[in-house]
Amino acid sequence: MTAWLHHVTALPIVVPLLSAAVLLFFSEPRRLPRALIALASTLIQAAAAGTLLWMTSHPASGAAPDGILVYSIGSWPAPYGIVLVADRLAAVMLALTAAIALPVVVYSFAQWDRLGVYYHPLFQLLLMGVNGAFLTGDLFNLFVFFEILLAASYGLLMHGGGTARVTSSLHYIAVNLAASLIFLIGVAVIYGAAGTLNLADLAAHWDEASPQDRRLLDGGLAVLAVAFLIKGGIWPLNFWLPTAYSAAAAPVVAVFSILTKVGVYSIVRVGFMVDPSKPVLYGGSLLFAAAIATMAVGSLGALAARHPPRLIAFSVIVSAGTVLAALALGSASTLAPALFYLVISAPATAAAFLVAGMAARMQMHSVTAVLDRDGAEATYTAFDVGEPARSSASMDDDEVGFIIPAGVAFLGLAFLSCGLLVAGLPPLAGFLAKVSLIVAALGSLGVVQHPAHVWVLVVALLGASLAALLAFLRIGVRLFWTARETTRPRVRMLEAVPVAFLVLVGIGLTVMAGPVMTYLTAAARALHQPDAYIHAVLATSKPVQP
Amino acid sequence: MLLWLIVLFPFVGGVCTAFLRPNARNAEAWLAGIVALATLCAVALLYPQVANGVIVRSSLEWLPQAGVRIALRMDGFAWMFAGLVTSIGALVVLYARYYMSPADPVPRFFSFLLAFMGSMLGIVLSGNLIQLVVFWEMTSLTSFVLIGYWYHRAESRRGAIVALSVTGTGGLCLLAGVLLLGHIVGSYELDAVLAAADRIHAHPWYPAALVLLLLGAFTKSAQVPFQFWLPQAMAAPTPVSAYLHSAAMVKAGVFLLARLWPALAGTDLWFGIVCSVGMGSLVLGACAALFQRDIKGVLAYSTVSHLGLMTLLLGMDSPLALVAAIFHMLNHATFKASLFMAAGIVDHETGTRDLARLGGLARAMPITATLALVAAAAMAGVPLLNGFLSKEMFFAETIFAGETPALRIGLPALATLAGVFSVAYSTRFFHRVFLGPPARDLPREPHEPTHWMLAPSLILVVICLLVGIMPAQTIGPVLSLATHAILGSRQPAYSLSAWPGFHAPLAMSAIALVGGFTLYAFLLSRRVLARLALRAVGAARRHWFDRLTLRLVRTFDRLQRLVISRRLQIQLLIIVIACSVVGYLTLNNSIARFSAPSITVLELSFALLWIVGGACALGTALQAKFHRLAALIMFGGAGLVTFLTFAWFSAPDLALTQISVEVVTMVLMLLGLRWLPKRIDTMDPGRRTTRARARRLRDAIVATLAGAGMALLSYTLLVHPGAPSPLSEFFLAQALPASGGRNVVNVTLVDFRGFDTLGEITVVAIVALTVYKVLRRFRPPPESLPGTARDAAQTMISPATLRRLVLPAAGVISLYVLLRGHNAPGGGFVGGLILATAFIVQYLVTGTLWVESRLRIRPQYWMAVGLLAAASTGCGAWLGSRAFLTNMSAHIDLPLVGDVHLSSTLLFDVGVYLVVIGATTLILVSLAHQSLRGRRAPEAEPVAGIRVRA
Amino acid sequence: MELIFAIAIGLLTGSGVWLLLRPRTFQVILGLSLLSYAVNLFIFGVGHLAVGKPPIIRADGATNASLYADPVPEALVLTAIVIGFATTALFLVVLLASRGLTGTDHVDGREHDA
Repeated sequence: MTAWLHHVTALPIVVPLLSAAVLLFFSEPRRLPRALIALASTLIQAAAAGTLLWMTSHPASGAAPDGILVYSIGSWPAPYGIVLVADRLAAVMLALTAAIALPVVVYSFAQWDRLGVYYHPLFQLLLMGVNGAFLTGDLFNLFVFFEILLAASYGLLMHGGGTARVTSSLHYIAVNLAASLIFLIGVAVIYGAAGTLNLADLAAHWDEASPQDRRLLDGGLAVLAVAFLIKGGIWPLNFWLPTAYSAAAAPVVAVFSILTKVGVYSIVRVGFMVDPSKPVLYGGSLLFAAAIATMAVGSLGALAARHPPRLIAFSVIVSAGTVLAALALGSASTLAPALFYLVISAPATAAAFLVAGMAARMQMHSVTAVLDRDGAEATYTAFDVGEPARSSASMDDDEVGFIIPAGVAFLGLAFLSCGLLVAGLPPLAGFLAKVSLIVAALGSLGVVQHPAHVWVLVVALLGASLAALLAFLRIGVRLFWTARETTRPRVRMLEAVPVAFLVLVGIGLTVMAGPVMTYLTAAARALHQPDAYIHAVLATSKPVQP
Repeated sequence: MLLWLIVLFPFVGGVCTAFLRPNARNAEAWLAGIVALATLCAVALLYPQVANGVIVRSSLEWLPQAGVRIALRMDGFAWMFAGLVTSIGALVVLYARYYMSPADPVPRFFSFLLAFMGSMLGIVLSGNLIQLVVFWEMTSLTSFVLIGYWYHRAESRRGAIVALSVTGTGGLCLLAGVLLLGHIVGSYELDAVLAAADRIHAHPWYPAALVLLLLGAFTKSAQVPFQFWLPQAMAAPTPVSAYLHSAAMVKAGVFLLARLWPALAGTDLWFGIVCSVGMGSLVLGACAALFQRDIKGVLAYSTVSHLGLMTLLLGMDSPLALVAAIFHMLNHATFKASLFMAAGIVDHETGTRDLARLGGLARAMPITATLALVAAAAMAGVPLLNGFLSKEMFFAETIFAGETPALRIGLPALATLAGVFSVAYSTRFFHRVFLGPPARDLPREPHEPTHWMLAPSLILVVICLLVGIMPAQTIGPVLSLATHAILGSRQPAYSLSAWPGFHAPLAMSAIALVGGFTLYAFLLSRRVLARLALRAVGAARRHWFDRLTLRLVRTFDRLQRLVISRRLQIQLLIIVIACSVVGYLTLNNSIARFSAPSITVLELSFALLWIVGGACALGTALQAKFHRLAALIMFGGAGLVTFLTFAWFSAPDLALTQISVEVVTMVLMLLGLRWLPKRIDTMDPGRRTTRARARRLRDAIVATLAGAGMALLSYTLLVHPGAPSPLSEFFLAQALPASGGRNVVNVTLVDFRGFDTLGEITVVAIVALTVYKVLRRFRPPPESLPGTARDAAQTMISPATLRRLVLPAAGVISLYVLLRGHNAPGGGFVGGLILATAFIVQYLVTGTLWVESRLRIRPQYWMAVGLLAAASTGCGAWLGSRAFLTNMSAHIDLPLVGDVHLSSTLLFDVGVYLVVIGATTLILVSLAHQSLRGRRAPEAEPVAGIRVRA
Repeated sequence: MELIFAIAIGLLTGSGVWLLLRPRTFQVILGLSLLSYAVNLFIFGVGHLAVGKPPIIRADGATNASLYADPVPEALVLTAIVIGFATTALFLVVLLASRGLTGTDHVDGREHDA
């Protein structure tokens, strides 16, 4: 039984690959089978993620001793072959990915997937890349999965065409190709110095490396870190992000909100693995400064943003900066809250992007449509929205409120809750995350080597909340309180239900904050004591079958 | 548990109301009213326990790791406030039923009103400071929605935005303060905090925490200098103003001050800040209220002033002052709410709130006038009304509070001055609206509203009178209960009586009354002065907030463009520099020393080889802008040299791959080259701008440094001593026995690290799909097409036999390369590329149309089959309950052929082969098709526009 | 030998970086390709240069690591080459599309200092 459960670890990678391959057989007009396949595949991934979550959180069940599940591909023993490792953190990230991917897939059935060809195959392959990046325990394999998710993201970014999308993806691709080369250099240096590619093996031999090798390894890690930071959207390596994210189609960019998290995840994974004492990859103050700068720049951009997608893109940057700043603080206690914040912000931004996509359609009716023209163009044609409806603005002084169409009310509430989650304001979970983060930071005043950093972090956290509040306030009012918006927007169930689902995820995290936090604390502890991980991986030296 | 019901009722009710049919006013109002009354009853039921001094508690864990829990805690003070909030809430619901127009969508209104009530009760009953912050922000949010209820009106939007901006910011300050306080005390529980006064005062963080908390309280209660949001919030429907801006929300600030009074008060800092802010608001608010044109403006500023009075009282560190403050909270709530209701009635019946237009309404609406008169008198502090009593206590306090002579004189003087003003504006309010000549040309004909609309105001006015006449019997017990809850043993002795007897405070009241009347009379006589003042006040707040926001946003935008460049070159430059710097920082002292290279013939030839290679690279770098073809050729040269290097250093597979990739890349680039704009080298280096030259110099330096760094690093690794890695040893040892292959690289690719290869072919497939996706609707710009519309390939003369031989021959070769791959250089990838190249050669030789008329290639199917083959090979292992991609091999002894070694890796490699063929062909074909498209380019289709219906 | 190899990598990197920082899409793509050559050689060089020792098990089946060049870097480089090829092709196509949509071959889709 456990033998079969064992294979669940591979499913999040294999299932999307197979489904994508099958999807290629169905030509564009045959929408139903394609929709069914995509849905089924995503559901299976969600189920697999859930199973892994359960297994890692119940070590007693025996399926995953001390919460770590090792799966050696091709049954080759650990340092030699490639292993997939599902520990608590990986399981959480997989579940997060599934929780975002599932609603987004459904959302895109509302004609979004018709903006261009091969939407669903590329989407599934993107998921394959993301899941693989979370699961793999091998540096070079991590590179391969990064390439998969990036390649798929290039295709999805240009989904729907339009000048803005193509030009922004030109930047996106150029930057990421450079990042991939940097990644390769780092891997090569590490292999040259340590003679291994397996993370656990690397960590195991980290300390017995000669000083010369140790310096090389540090260098390799530092170079790797640059690649990760580029993907994580850390200033000043994130110039490509706002343009690309505000240009992409709504469901695409919604699922993109997990991509920056992949970069952050890799930093956490690799950094803590090789050196839990000094997890701040590679010179704490530098990373901390970069993270704080990221928060500042992101808030600035959010305040300056003119239309929703750009605002949300900057919120993504801010959340990445927040998580990294909490890590770079170098205190053990801030890790779990940082993870909590990460887990909350991803679905919130995704939902916000989806809402923005629907609201853009609503805006098209109003005369004061402040919208990215190129991005919208394809959408217009796709949803064959007619001419903007001219409607009277002559109702400026009578004391009768509008009857908000249910659709707008729904969108408004959804947007509001996303804003609260992202800004970290009461009563939703974002607030809890920030509070626990600040509490942990204040608690670690005596521990960290730069107490000043704690204060900087606290101020930055609250400042970011304030900026997000004001920015979302501005955009939200402009979006939902335009007097002219009297035409009832068409809110499809296919779009509303996914948004509602994501918002409910946020609310669920709010209600279940205690248990979630407990799990994440366990994950953080595991990160701080990687020995269990290392032993679990290196213990897979089964006899090789002839 | 009753406590939970108190908080939950309103929220549940709010949700239910939201789902009712719009414009069902009665249903809405009934539901809301019932909810409010039920909550009131729940509060009332708790009185017996609270009266016995019991503190009713109930709590629920939320985020124990951070000490966050929902702890409901009701003592006397909380009980009093809960009673206030719920009772006035019920009255407001009744009032709103008749105030809101039948056309209004009241579900939204009532549901948010109830939600607000719930949040307010949450604040009042908080036993945990974090929870208090939560509900605090919720009141800000709900009030935002309520103020912006008529969001089609510009000033409603503005008012809502200003209110939320200010109170939300204050809320964050409060959060910071609470977090500091909690860290000082070690717990966020209210009881713990209240018990730890000494530790708090002693702690170095006390000033910071105090200031932050006070910021929260002052923003909420619209204290100077944050008072401006309250008048703007008057754009809300009047019931909202009557509730939020008199009784509930603005009281939250002073509530917090009183709540934390035992823990925070008693220091000079507290005295200084709170008293000065309170005094400032008291005087300025009263003064500003005198010069408003809008009725609600008058009331708003008077609210500011009265809240300032309470703040001032709380600031003085004396129990009696606290009693007075709490007493005034109650009184102010009653008369101010009824005044707002009266103002609403006037607005409702006449259609305007402009004091300049109104007048003489006493004839038309006597009852309203009477009610307003009593309430205004209470506000002015006329004897036998509740306002008078609390004001007396206040005056008394101001006399006894000050230690220094300045304070001894100053406090009473200022207090009296404020009294004068308040009398003046109360008089003005009543006189302008109800007395004087009846106003003409009002929007509507004024007349009494329905009695139900008057009822709430009436009830409140009756309370004013009762409390004013027999305080000890009516309000006494509640007041002592509330104050005892805060002061405990320190509770002072005080007497509540309608007539305190002759003493100093009474004199001050008298001065205030007389002075107020005379001041107003004076202003009446000097219209000009009044008008000037009016204009001044009016000018003070003319949409400055909008301009401010606009300017801020502009500034942010400019800054944002500075720190986030939209130019790719800058981004790439930063990336290169970041990488180099990081590398330098970590690696600078680990670079290996050079050993003088011993020159041998071999070395020489290798050096020659790379002299050519380097020249090619540099040439590419220099020529890429103006002579693309030349650059491309030299680039090919560099690739060729790389290929030779691989071959040289015993990497046959790499060499094969490199060369075949080289060929395909070249073909791609050549196909693409023709659509790039013609660029002629017009500008000679002399005429370059200095900026351009500087940029080029900078880039040259960066490039040189990066190159040098890479060279050093690679040299270090090349001469890096080290045993062959355990991986390679393992692979060499296992290749033949475990995987049955001699070519270790190939075995590594398809078996040991087959997972990488699986990912690799996935990437190739993704790219092919993306290329097709992008080029599908892309039209090359017409000017970039060859002038004559004749496909270059068509002109190529080629023997017909060649046309037909290309594919079969290439197919055989590629299959051979594929099959030998496991034991000799070759493999699926190279084989695939060979066949793909053959396809493209076919295209070039015979032209696109010829090919597609003869053979139908479906590249995406090739890729699909390939991916399935590779992946299912992996899954096949599951049947043998082995891990994914486990190599399954079998030796079959076929007759005649003999022993045949069948291995799943072969199938895997076939998958690679198919994917590569499909992907490469798809890419090349979709590029080649551009030339076809180009011919029929003129057809007008929106570039990359999507026809979904098609 | 190593020295020449290293210098070669340096040359490729230098020219690549220079081209990477140029404003024209065609220059950037050539730069990226040159850089990927450099990186491939770099990875390859990690496994120490060996002449005449292809990692193909000899007839006598000797598996002594000293007899063969390190197969691992070769495998990695092979994967890297393939991925580099694919992404380069993609970049080429995107730059063509961008040129077609914007009418210019500037990386930002519009001329800055015209």
